[in-house]
Amino acid sequence: MTAFESMEASLREMEVSAKEQIEACNSPEALEEVRVEVLGRKGKLAQLSKNMGTLTHEQRGSVGKLLNQVKGVLETAFDAQNQRFATAVLQARLEREWVDLTLPSRGPRRGSLHPVTLIQTEIEDVFRSLGFTVLDGPEVETEYHNFDALNIPPHHPARDMQDTFWMTNGTLLRTHTSPVQVRGMKQLGPPLRMIAPGRVFRNEEVDASHEHTFYQLEGMMIDRDVSVAHLIYFMKTLLSEVFKRDVTVRLRPGYFPFVEPGFELDIQCLICGGSGCPVCKQSGWVELLPCGLVHPNVLRLSGINPEEWNGFAFGLGLTRLAMMRYGIDDIRHLLGGDLRFLRQF
Amino acid sequence: MKFSYNWLNALTDGPRQSPQELSNLITMKTAESEGVEPWGEAFPQVVVARVEHAELVPDSRIVKAEVDAGPLGRKTVVCGAPNCRAGLLTAFVPPGVTVDGKEIREATIRGVLSQGMLASGSELGINKDYEGILELSGVNPGDPVPGCEPDFIIEIDNKSLTHRPDLWGHYGMAREVAAITGSKLVDPVKIELVPEAPCPFEIEIADGKLAPRYSGLLVENVTVQASPLWLQNRLSSIGLNPINNLVDITNLVMAELGQPMHAFDADKLRGNTIYIRPATEGERCLALNDEEYVLTPANVVIADQGGPIALAGVIGGKESAIFEGTTRIFFESANFQASNIRRTSSALKLRTDASMRFEKAQDPENTVRALARALELLLEVCPDARVSGGLGDVYYPVPAPAPIHLPHAWLERKLGRAIPREEVKRILSSIGFGVAESADGLVVEVPSWRATKDISLKDDLVEEVGRMVGYASITPQPPHTPAVPPHENHEHGQHRQVRGALRALGFTEVYNYSFVTEKQVAAFGFPSAELVHIANPIAAELAFMRPSLLPGILQNCEDNLRHFDEFQFFEIGREIHAREGHGQLPVETNFLAVVHCTKADGDSHLYALKRVARNLFNGARLEPEAALAHEHPFRAARVDWQGETIGRFFEFHPAKLEARAAVLYVNLDQALRLQPGIARYTPLRRYPTSAFDLSVVVDRREYSGKVQDAIVRHAGDSLVDIEFLRVYEGAPLPEGRKSLSYRLVVGALDHTLSHDEVTSVRNQVIAGMEAEGSELRV
Repeated sequence: MTAFESMEASLREMEVSAKEQIEACNSPEALEEVRVEVLGRKGKLAQLSKNMGTLTHEQRGSVGKLLNQVKGVLETAFDAQNQRFATAVLQARLEREWVDLTLPSRGPRRGSLHPVTLIQTEIEDVFRSLGFTVLDGPEVETEYHNFDALNIPPHHPARDMQDTFWMTNGTLLRTHTSPVQVRGMKQLGPPLRMIAPGRVFRNEEVDASHEHTFYQLEGMMIDRDVSVAHLIYFMKTLLSEVFKRDVTVRLRPGYFPFVEPGFELDIQCLICGGSGCPVCKQSGWVELLPCGLVHPNVLRLSGINPEEWNGFAFGLGLTRLAMMRYGIDDIRHLLGGDLRFLRQF
Repeated sequence: MKFSYNWLNALTDGPRQSPQELSNLITMKTAESEGVEPWGEAFPQVVVARVEHAELVPDSRIVKAEVDAGPLGRKTVVCGAPNCRAGLLTAFVPPGVTVDGKEIREATIRGVLSQGMLASGSELGINKDYEGILELSGVNPGDPVPGCEPDFIIEIDNKSLTHRPDLWGHYGMAREVAAITGSKLVDPVKIELVPEAPCPFEIEIADGKLAPRYSGLLVENVTVQASPLWLQNRLSSIGLNPINNLVDITNLVMAELGQPMHAFDADKLRGNTIYIRPATEGERCLALNDEEYVLTPANVVIADQGGPIALAGVIGGKESAIFEGTTRIFFESANFQASNIRRTSSALKLRTDASMRFEKAQDPENTVRALARALELLLEVCPDARVSGGLGDVYYPVPAPAPIHLPHAWLERKLGRAIPREEVKRILSSIGFGVAESADGLVVEVPSWRATKDISLKDDLVEEVGRMVGYASITPQPPHTPAVPPHENHEHGQHRQVRGALRALGFTEVYNYSFVTEKQVAAFGFPSAELVHIANPIAAELAFMRPSLLPGILQNCEDNLRHFDEFQFFEIGREIHAREGHGQLPVETNFLAVVHCTKADGDSHLYALKRVARNLFNGARLEPEAALAHEHPFRAARVDWQGETIGRFFEFHPAKLEARAAVLYVNLDQALRLQPGIARYTPLRRYPTSAFDLSVVVDRREYSGKVQDAIVRHAGDSLVDIEFLRVYEGAPLPEGRKSLSYRLVVGALDHTLSHDEVTSVRNQVIAGMEAEGSELRV
């Protein structure tokens, strides 16, 4: 056997045996040892290449090619084996890192807003998108703003419609949000689109469906030639937004001294669709809000010329609406401060 | 107000609707019906029976009666009524029929099989007489009980009649019904019955404004007795109690025409003049309800020579009242000023069927009509009665209102729909308005019964036309107006932001009442000058408007501790502080209370809440300050923000609450005013910064905020950031001392600080702190 042939044979043999060694390694450390032994600077392959000096130029080229080939094969084998180890290590780490994601979380639980806040915010957004300004007014009001300016003079029987809390200094707790109409008209003048949500008070005995403190949302639009048709349009739009579906409304006569004509607005019962059920007392309709065209006296008292301007106004029971929406059967929950109730929203 | 379906039908002539249909039509066109109830459903099954034989059941007070019930045959009935006697014609209720809420059944009582019931007026519902069974005459066994017709009662919500004096009687409602259904209104009044002759009584009205009209009629030869059953039944069906024929007639006329009436015993009147005048101060009037009222000149009385005989428009007097022996009566039918009656009735806390009607402003044209109707009824129940003389009538007519000009185009614009002019004329005439054409519309005359209060403007006519034509006929229309962005409500914006942040941080929103109790006021020591007092509170102890949200918040803590060991919540609400002076509105200010309440001991999450405070009010500082009475004396600070104090931060005093509750209490209106404008961005640093740590040893109760402020001051401009690292107490530090450690980050905008520069800043801080007497652990 020539030196050339023996070198060639050794290389091929080494390729086989080194590959076996590599695959037999069971730790990254053992593999590194094998790598040093075979591919290291003083390794087997290096040793072999030292012997190349004994070869002819032609043989050297041929062995050199083979040598590189073997080196390449072995390096690939080392990389592959290394990769297997890395994968196994990663896998082991991942396994170790198993956690129980169904354990309860720490940190603050989700908070909640009051149901009246929720519905009020929603309605404010609908009206703001329709160009209405949101106004506030005082909860303790003057008799003038709460009654007289709304065409309810002293000793008018309509004062009986609202049991009033009186302050010892002659002021009162507003019985409706309507006085904000008066303030809005004076503050902003016509044309005017405003709503006024807020807390109102009636001196009534409290039970599951009556409260002395509740929330209303007053609305008013003053412009030129506002008609009943416009009023119906706004009410229908509003209620469809609030109830998230098309609602059918009807107007019938209702008496409120600050509007003329005055209406009670009913919506077709959302529970039975109008065929009659206990919620609508078999009538198919649910009374929802009073509204009407603003009485010329009310405009005049607020310094607006009723020959030039007119408008509509309405009053929405926010408390009632919240109760309808969330199915709340006892009004006393709303100001009861019981977190077991309030956390549900 | 209750309306009888039969009665309405009797006053109209034309197509009929079912009671339910009629009720719906009234709701849609006139006033809100609260529903329809049947009346006297049992009447068709109740028959007249004659008691043929009556004997006491041994050892009892009950009677075994054999009765002849006509076609129903002879029946044995056990009856407890003392007037059950042979020969009596009475009402027999056969088994299976329900009266007075009970179904009558055959039953054996004291060994006697009772095959039905003999009924009293009260059992049938036609009066309140339960003393004995009905005593009938002029009828035969088997006949229906006379005057007892089944009916339906339509109840109309009184509130929806507030503006309609005319609808406080059946005739007014019948007018509406006729207009709605296209039938004809039937006037029950025969005005010609009132004789034209001088009245034996003089009438003197002191003030025509307070009493625009007083009409009266003297009738003689009357007999006081029970009314015929039809009259009793009619009154009972609409909720009025039958009393005797004369009183019943006045009530029936009131329920029919809306005109309250009164009947005096004419023999009890002193002198022959009726005075309608203001009461004198302290004048007394003993009323029919046996109450004696002490009057003032603000009250109007009807008086004779001897003094008040009635409280005008409210209630009759006891002394002049009719009794069983009355033979001469003076019928009063008058008109009074609405506001005066209302004032009197609310001052005396006495609301009657009369005052309820007068305060709605009744039609003065109605008084004589009512007398005519009463006279007709009186002649029916007392055929021998006769008028003495004629009508007494003093009238100060209110000037008739000017006709209303109703431009047609204007009406259409208001309604938002077109409507033929002929239709408008037809509608207005059908409800009694006089209508004439004008160039651009109509000239409308208001009938007297709508003119007192209800209708004076063209706007009022929009309603009349709109309701009759039906609002359902109007198509919804968006308005043609330019879109203008609404004004911002910054308060609402702020509240929304605060609410959103607090919800995300796990707080639950509560709403508390606006009232506080005297006890709460005392516990928190609110100054009484700032309290708004409620004159008529819902409960005696809830007499103040809340000058702070804290009493409510404290209550929330107590209440919820029953269900939770730990919870957090907040409220946005108004503090209400009085301002001096009659009619002065108080100051209302929006406040925010944020609370973390826990049963656990420790810092009660004050630091977590502090983070919330700084989250809401970026850069807010807590400055320890003397605690208020309700605050933990060593856990209280004011909240400073944007150069002002905007609130308090504290734990409730343990004497106030057993658990711990950390509270942030802030004036939101003030914070809104201080809200900083839009901040400009700071350029990012181009050169790296350096950091070093410092520890300062101070007294245990020294505030770290103060130490940190001093470090910042000494570090100067090159300080980029300072971070609190830790607080340490214990060895090797002496007792009562603590070490506060900070990390300082320093740098410059235009170069990287050299080692020497950093050291120099550090030394500067150390020197500065030491100069102020601090001890540094370097």
